Amino acid sequence: MGNNVNRGWAAIGALVAGTSALVGCSGPQSTLDPAGRGAARIAELFWGMTAGAVAIWAAMIGLALYTVARRRTEPSPRAPALLIVGGGVVLPIVVLTGLLAWGLAALPPLLAASDSDRTIVVTGEQFWWRVRYLVPGGEAVELANELRLPVGEAVELQLESRDVIHSFWVPALGGKVDMIPGRRTRLTLEPTRTGVFRGVCAEYCGTSHARMAFAVVVSDEQEFARWLAQQAEPARPATEPLAVRGQELFVRSGCGACHTVRGTVADGVIAPNLTHVGGRLSVGAGLLASEPDGFQHWIAAPERLKPGSAMPSFAMLPADDLQALAAYLEGLE
Amino acid sequence: MKGRSILKAGALAALLAAGGFLLAASGIVPIKASSGHFAITEWFLNFAKRRSVATHTIGAEEPALDETWLVLKGAGHYDLGCRPCHGAPGSPQPRVARAMTPPPPFGPEIAAWEPEELFYIVKHGIKFTGMPAWPSQQRDDEVRAVVAFLLTLPDTDAEAYRRLVHREEVAASPDESLVVLGECARCHGVDGCGRELPAFPRLAGQRSEYLVAALQAYADDQRHSGIMQPIAAGLHVDDVRRLADYYADLPGCPPLAAKSASASTRGERIAYLGVPERRVPSCTDCHGPGFPDRSLAAPGLAGQYAEYLVLQLELFRSRQRGGGSHAHLMDPVASRMTSEQMYDVAMYYSSLPPTGQ
Repeated sequence: MGNNVNRGWAAIGALVAGTSALVGCSGPQSTLDPAGRGAARIAELFWGMTAGAVAIWAAMIGLALYTVARRRTEPSPRAPALLIVGGGVVLPIVVLTGLLAWGLAALPPLLAASDSDRTIVVTGEQFWWRVRYLVPGGEAVELANELRLPVGEAVELQLESRDVIHSFWVPALGGKVDMIPGRRTRLTLEPTRTGVFRGVCAEYCGTSHARMAFAVVVSDEQEFARWLAQQAEPARPATEPLAVRGQELFVRSGCGACHTVRGTVADGVIAPNLTHVGGRLSVGAGLLASEPDGFQHWIAAPERLKPGSAMPSFAMLPADDLQALAAYLEGLE
Repeated sequence: MKGRSILKAGALAALLAAGGFLLAASGIVPIKASSGHFAITEWFLNFAKRRSVATHTIGAEEPALDETWLVLKGAGHYDLGCRPCHGAPGSPQPRVARAMTPPPPFGPEIAAWEPEELFYIVKHGIKFTGMPAWPSQQRDDEVRAVVAFLLTLPDTDAEAYRRLVHREEVAASPDESLVVLGECARCHGVDGCGRELPAFPRLAGQRSEYLVAALQAYADDQRHSGIMQPIAAGLHVDDVRRLADYYADLPGCPPLAAKSASASTRGERIAYLGVPERRVPSCTDCHGPGFPDRSLAAPGLAGQYAEYLVLQLELFRSRQRGGGSHAHLMDPVASRMTSEQMYDVAMYYSSLPPTGQ
């Protein structure tokens, strides 16, 4: 019976370990399921190092077993010196030099120049991402907490920070690069397949560091161009009665002092641009679904959902006002 | 031998304590105010009071009393809150107060204290006397105003006192049914334009909803002021609405003299654009000018005294202001502003023509 219990535990253990391993290997935020050129090089490096580590481990265990099996024979006096010089000096130099060369060779794709003259500026702010598409000769298109890229095109991201050090990381697409106040760092992403991926801040930046995520949507060229053209449009005025009331409330409550909705009087620049917020995948930088409920929760309790957020709470507004505001924002597609 | 004397001393102390308790329990000691204190008791209590105040103000800085309008602000409160017990120049010590034990000192004698001692007493009150603490412990600026006035009291004659306390003949109230208007007009004026110095905010043309919310916030202990809270708490709810309507319906006030054109220009930029690099939003979306549909919860600021606006921003910055349901929106904004930015933006708003809001 004890045997059965043990076997039961072993099965559960194997299941847990297996599931975690599988979860870690795929999904929208995995370095091991690369969807970009940079990430693919990093994944190759990882698998290569893993294979090397397994080989070294096997060799060491083999050596240990060999020593145990041969323990009765007297070792030759030159053997220890050979082992120390060979295994302790020559082998590490060869292995590490090889790894360094391989690692450095993986860098250029991460820093490669853009295929096009398209530039995207991503600014880290506590605790959200400001994304601006610089269109040559045109006005910049600004959005927040979402990045869209065309598949198969190398696009240079210019990374900035407004407050503290953040780090930009989309594990499935490329390496991670710090965003440093007062400096502009660069990263080139070249997605190799379409899909929705998850990016995170990879440098502790304050209380809500863990709640600072963003979505990266990779689509084909036509879809991307259509999306960018739509983002450049001003917001469509609300038509549905509840949303119309929400639009009035948005102005009346002073939301425009911090937020911009292009095409309206709201022209604030210190908070996320909401011109097409209803079309984004999430509210509050990856916190809530972009649905009326999500907007309503966020407006009423930003401090609870994201401690340290600069967004003040509007819980003092009556529930039907919050509903109207949510309907307006959700409709800004 | 030694152990026994300790035992004896302990027994004696216990006996004395029991005797003291029995004395109180018997009720022989008179608590009545009519007989006053024995001379020695009075001396001892005064001695203890002076020593306590002196000790608790060791190292205290002399309160800053530079602003010219502090005296005016302090005088307004003195007449309402202090005069009933401490009297005023030109009138004898109030009869009721004289029947207190200890009797409150007569106003002009109060200045025998050092400024920091007066500050301590006005802010904290004195136990076992009738002297209450300042009703709002957040508002040191108000306490300073009273101290500034108290220091001038010995040199203030009856006529000067009257001119300090009342702007105009309160009898000029145009709405005779609104008796409480007199209390407001003493400082804010019948015309809602405050006084000649920036001690009190102008109310003329401010929207009625905002004035009601402000008075309600004072009455509910949400907005802090030792001056306005007792007044607001004493108002009948109907009077609150009528007072607010009265001031809201008044035409604007005469424009204020422009003090610094350059500050005002810098302030205009802040008002319209905010200070993005410090995450300060623009002011105009909520406070005007423009934005006819702006929030009823935010006051209009055009033509307001700059000093008053700076004071409010400083109170927000130190989280001492409080206010209505929307007041918390201002806390982080004020925290991110520098003192120069506060001054500039206040200068801009005070330079605007105070057309009704």
